[in-house]
Amino acid sequence: MTSDMQESPHILSVYDRDLEAIQARIMKMGGLVESAIQKSASSLEMRDEALAEEVRQGDIVIDDLEEQINEETARLIALRAPTAVDLRMILSVMKIAGNLERIGDLSKNMAKRTGVLIQMQTIPGAPAALRRMAREVELMLKDALDAYIQRDERLAQDVIQRDADVDQMYNATFREFLTFMMEDPRNITACMHLHFIAKNIERMGDHVTSIAEQVIFLVSGETPREQRPKADKTSLDPKLSPDVDEAGD
Amino acid sequence: MYDAPTAAEQALQQHDIKISSRNVQVYYGDTHAIKDVDVDIEDKTVTAFIGPSGCGKSTFLRCLNRMNDTIDVARVEGEILLDGENIYDKKVDPVQLRARVGMVFQKPNPFPKSIYDNVAYGPRIHGMAKNRADLDEIVERALRRAALWDEVKDRMSAPGTGLSGGQQQRLCIARAVATEPEVLLMDEPASALDPIATSQIEELIDELRRNYAVVIVTHSMQQAARVSQKTAFFHLGNLVEYDDTSKIFTNPEDPRTESYITGRIG
Repeated sequence: MTSDMQESPHILSVYDRDLEAIQARIMKMGGLVESAIQKSASSLEMRDEALAEEVRQGDIVIDDLEEQINEETARLIALRAPTAVDLRMILSVMKIAGNLERIGDLSKNMAKRTGVLIQMQTIPGAPAALRRMAREVELMLKDALDAYIQRDERLAQDVIQRDADVDQMYNATFREFLTFMMEDPRNITACMHLHFIAKNIERMGDHVTSIAEQVIFLVSGETPREQRPKADKTSLDPKLSPDVDEAGD
Repeated sequence: MYDAPTAAEQALQQHDIKISSRNVQVYYGDTHAIKDVDVDIEDKTVTAFIGPSGCGKSTFLRCLNRMNDTIDVARVEGEILLDGENIYDKKVDPVQLRARVGMVFQKPNPFPKSIYDNVAYGPRIHGMAKNRADLDEIVERALRRAALWDEVKDRMSAPGTGLSGGQQQRLCIARAVATEPEVLLMDEPASALDPIATSQIEELIDELRRNYAVVIVTHSMQQAARVSQKTAFFHLGNLVEYDDTSKIFTNPEDPRTESYITGRIG
């Protein structure tokens, strides 16, 4: 469902300009974060230290944007006392900015680990698998932001469903890394880093899901309550769990 | 944001219906000012009527204690039930009705009499006091309820018109509560007051809710949001939406309500 709420302007036009400015900023932030995901995954696959460095340096811009958004939303709440759809927009923007900032941090962390991994023996297939996973999350983010701009509840719902695919990809890489580590203990350091990267990407998927939930809240006024699909079973299954020996039974 | 209350909260919030209107129409000559309004106003609750100028909210408020009777061209149809009794029934005396359903107006309008007499006027004409001591007690209680007692207790014989605007409005509220009404109607009670006096009136409205059903007409949406538990949005003589105030201000159902409360062109 799309809404035409945005098309009807406020009587006080400066209010609209404020809202538009905040919206433009969150979109700029979203674009930078999308690109950070893409570049960090690509730097890992291509073993491109310069690109990884670019991601690490770029995170500060994302953090600054979040701070600006927080200031502007606080100012708007104080000065304009937003209600109904305006209030929901402001609340959702604040949360989305927080989610984007976290995704930015996770990308930066990937780029840091890439810097280390470049100096090690490569684990065959792993960087490409992680890049595919990151690509999936990046597409989810793009759709979540599109859903936000178009106030498209159905697209947001679709994004939430797709998080299960990312979880499944994470499960698969988790098993793969376990196998590599069991085969040859010299792989452990690289696999630990790769696993953290996989977990980072999986967490990004959760943040994107949360953005999509904010879109639903913005459009409908309701926070989706139903249990979203959870396919990350690694923390529940002792056969998959790294602490299998301590778990005993 | 807006959370549906739990069953326990709902039981606590459940109040009896004090006033119930059914198919109410108001005509001023040929003008159809109120169109088919059905609303249940709860006891011990502040209900706010909001809407643009000319939407009928004040007209409807004035129906609730038959103030429209004084306007020759005004005609009211339908039923307004106070505790289940139709207030437009022939056997209802409008003067008695207005003792049960008090009213406070936009501009403070104290009588050109002493502070004491302003408050004592209603109880006197309704024969509520047996003697002077009784009347003193009624006046003090009303002034305390209106949060004005401490400010005026030493100058009860001073003229009511000599008080500040905010004090005058509280004096009018004291005058309205002195007859022990069951419902208090307020038409823009704070719009002529400064922010401090407005806060005092709003605090008072919240206090009054313990004893009365309060219905307030206001142009300030923030005031409606601050003081009321229920909000009714009127537009072009129609009651567009009536719901919990928290729902109206976070997630209204009707696009007209949304346009109005967010300050958009409807």
